[in-house]
Amino acid sequence: MPLTIYVSPRAAGAVEPQTPAVATVELARLFGRSAALAGVSLRVQAGRTVALLGANGAGKTTLLRILATAIRPSFGTARVDGIDVAERPDQVRGRVAYLSHATGLYDDLTGAENLRFAATLLAVPAPEREERIAETLATIGLTGMAAERVRNFSAGMRKRLALGRVLLASPTLVLLDEPHAALDEAGMQLVDALLAAWREAGITTLVASHALDRLQPFIDGSVRLESGVVAEIAGSGVEPNPEPRGAIGLPVGTGASV
Amino acid sequence: MTALAAEARIAWAIARKDAVSELRGRSAASMTLFFAALVLLLFGFALGPDTRKLAEAAPGLLWLAIVFAGLLAVGRLHLLETDDGALEQLALYPIDRRAIYVGKALAGFVTMLVLGAVMLPVVGIMYGVELARAWPALSVTVVLGALGFSAVGTFYAGLTVRVRAREVMLPLLLLPVTAPLLLAAVKASAAALSGDPFGELGSWLQLLAGFDLVMLLVAGASYGFLLEE
Amino acid sequence: MRTRILGFGALATVALAAMFGLFVVPADLNQGDAQRIMYVHVASAWIAYLSFIVTALAGIGWLVRRDLRFDAVALAGAEIGVIFTALAIWGGMMWARPVWGTFWQWEDPRLTTTALLLALYIGYLLLRRLSDDPRRRATRAAVVGLVAAVDIPIVHFSVIWWRGLHQAPTFGSPDRLLHPAAPMQFVAALLLMLLAVTLAWLYLMIRRYQLARLETLLEEAARLGRLRSARASVARTAPVDITAAVDAAAPQPSRSTSSAEEPAR
Repeated sequence: MPLTIYVSPRAAGAVEPQTPAVATVELARLFGRSAALAGVSLRVQAGRTVALLGANGAGKTTLLRILATAIRPSFGTARVDGIDVAERPDQVRGRVAYLSHATGLYDDLTGAENLRFAATLLAVPAPEREERIAETLATIGLTGMAAERVRNFSAGMRKRLALGRVLLASPTLVLLDEPHAALDEAGMQLVDALLAAWREAGITTLVASHALDRLQPFIDGSVRLESGVVAEIAGSGVEPNPEPRGAIGLPVGTGASV
Repeated sequence: MTALAAEARIAWAIARKDAVSELRGRSAASMTLFFAALVLLLFGFALGPDTRKLAEAAPGLLWLAIVFAGLLAVGRLHLLETDDGALEQLALYPIDRRAIYVGKALAGFVTMLVLGAVMLPVVGIMYGVELARAWPALSVTVVLGALGFSAVGTFYAGLTVRVRAREVMLPLLLLPVTAPLLLAAVKASAAALSGDPFGELGSWLQLLAGFDLVMLLVAGASYGFLLEE
Repeated sequence: MRTRILGFGALATVALAAMFGLFVVPADLNQGDAQRIMYVHVASAWIAYLSFIVTALAGIGWLVRRDLRFDAVALAGAEIGVIFTALAIWGGMMWARPVWGTFWQWEDPRLTTTALLLALYIGYLLLRRLSDDPRRRATRAAVVGLVAAVDIPIVHFSVIWWRGLHQAPTFGSPDRLLHPAAPMQFVAALLLMLLAVTLAWLYLMIRRYQLARLETLLEEAARLGRLRSARASVARTAPVDITAAVDAAAPQPSRSTSSAEEPAR
């Protein structure tokens, strides 16, 4: 399986090596009456692969979505490569590639067209675009389906295509929300290979998953969330964030002036 | 590549993507046209069989039909983005959000142009209006009206696509704002059809152009805020 | 205290302006007593415009500074503006009935414009009710308030042209009133009324703003309280304590990643 990981020239060397890839302080997010995240203070070292564990509703997806700038924190702060996600989301977006539960694909476009659209918006230079798309299709094993409309894809094929879009980006931080879901054995092996390649390339990766056994060989450390707070930290690469904080749940940063 | 060129390239990619999707889901696009024609037919019933009366009201009825069908059309262009979280994905690309607006508004503009181009002859036939000598002025009116409607329609469709009760909220918010556009387009069309006896066509077209310009600028600058969650 | 003084001052000025307009100024030669409605009608329209401009500016303030106090001002402006817009329409209809013989005078640009304003800002207020996140609500309201505000002059222009591009301003419009030929007393009554309603507007704005602030602070306190109790319930049952952050309690509802506003609960 051909697998080239592209590192963005913009991202490489732009940040001090000591700066954690992810740093959160008392990060919280409320949806209506319930707290999806209830104050998480974490630091993830650059270049490490860390698993996010926990039951459904523990806050894994919410944490990933905040880091991806899809939603804003209700309280607390989060920084990617030292950049605040709420203050400079535009700068964070260029550094992050996010695989969410929803694939974000267009049903009426073909597989190749979906990737071409993504490549254009991700500013893959025009001369190498077609080559990159063909390469990506080969990597995700969908070369044969490239001209087929996504409407006719199975859930696993859609997931692969969404992974392909992540591959087209040149991120410093990869966020994966249950990458194994809906995939067959070959698909899971693809995820294994990608995790290994990102780790090799020094790209920080956060993986939310229930398949710890499957992940184990590819991760440095893990965080277990329960009910929106950190329950357990294991391994290396991730640690509690000792930055000063308010009393539990007090707003820091974003909530500043109500 | 300059930032502006990059933005234009992205806007073009989004508009093209929308156009391809709309053409492949062909039924939806043609249903909008059919809906507009149906509205014209119903106006015919509502205003009675007197052809002279219909011909007199034709400019207003034409634009009402375009506005009603346009509501569906601009709403649909944002509904395309609700395919499995596509809008969220679109908002996460490292691109200027104004480019998303421009792309969506461009797709809306083309859709509205097609709508206008089809509705004009339909009005001509159904309401017995003589279009032949008025067509240059009518074309300019349709182009300016389509641009303005798409400029505001795209903004409000982007606003309501994530809101509860969006089917009600889109017309409720959009229609009052488009009132001056409707007024100017109807007056310009009427002036064009009657050979512009009072020399007011130019003023109405200027008003339309002014509306287009102001709304493109303000809605374009504001659209990015709508994608915040 | 100062606000209360302002309130009494506004009340006194309104009473004075009403007395002046009703009893001191003579009836109009053409329109009779009906013309007196004009003082209230014009004043209400002025307040409506003023409120909506404030709403738009406060919206820009929120977008730039991200301070919810701006949103409280925007809300106050929109609500008070809607009330005075409705008042202006009512006054316009009351005026139109004896003068033109119909409640709704399509020839009157002020009346038709204000009707559209009412529609625009009722939409604005409805939209505000559809978000329960204060910041998202503020952002959406701000951009809608901005687009509505730039639409107002275009609406006004188009409606004035609509009456007929080359027609002189109608009867009873401020142009006629402020014409040098108009008796000074009419002008004085109108100016006094404008001053009175502006003072009353200022008082209402301050009070509505204060109320909105209290609502926001309560809402924010409730949100913080929910967060704290979520953490506290976790702490009670926690076997592990690693970062002062801790272990689980009641199962959380699962969260959907759909782009719809309200996650499925």
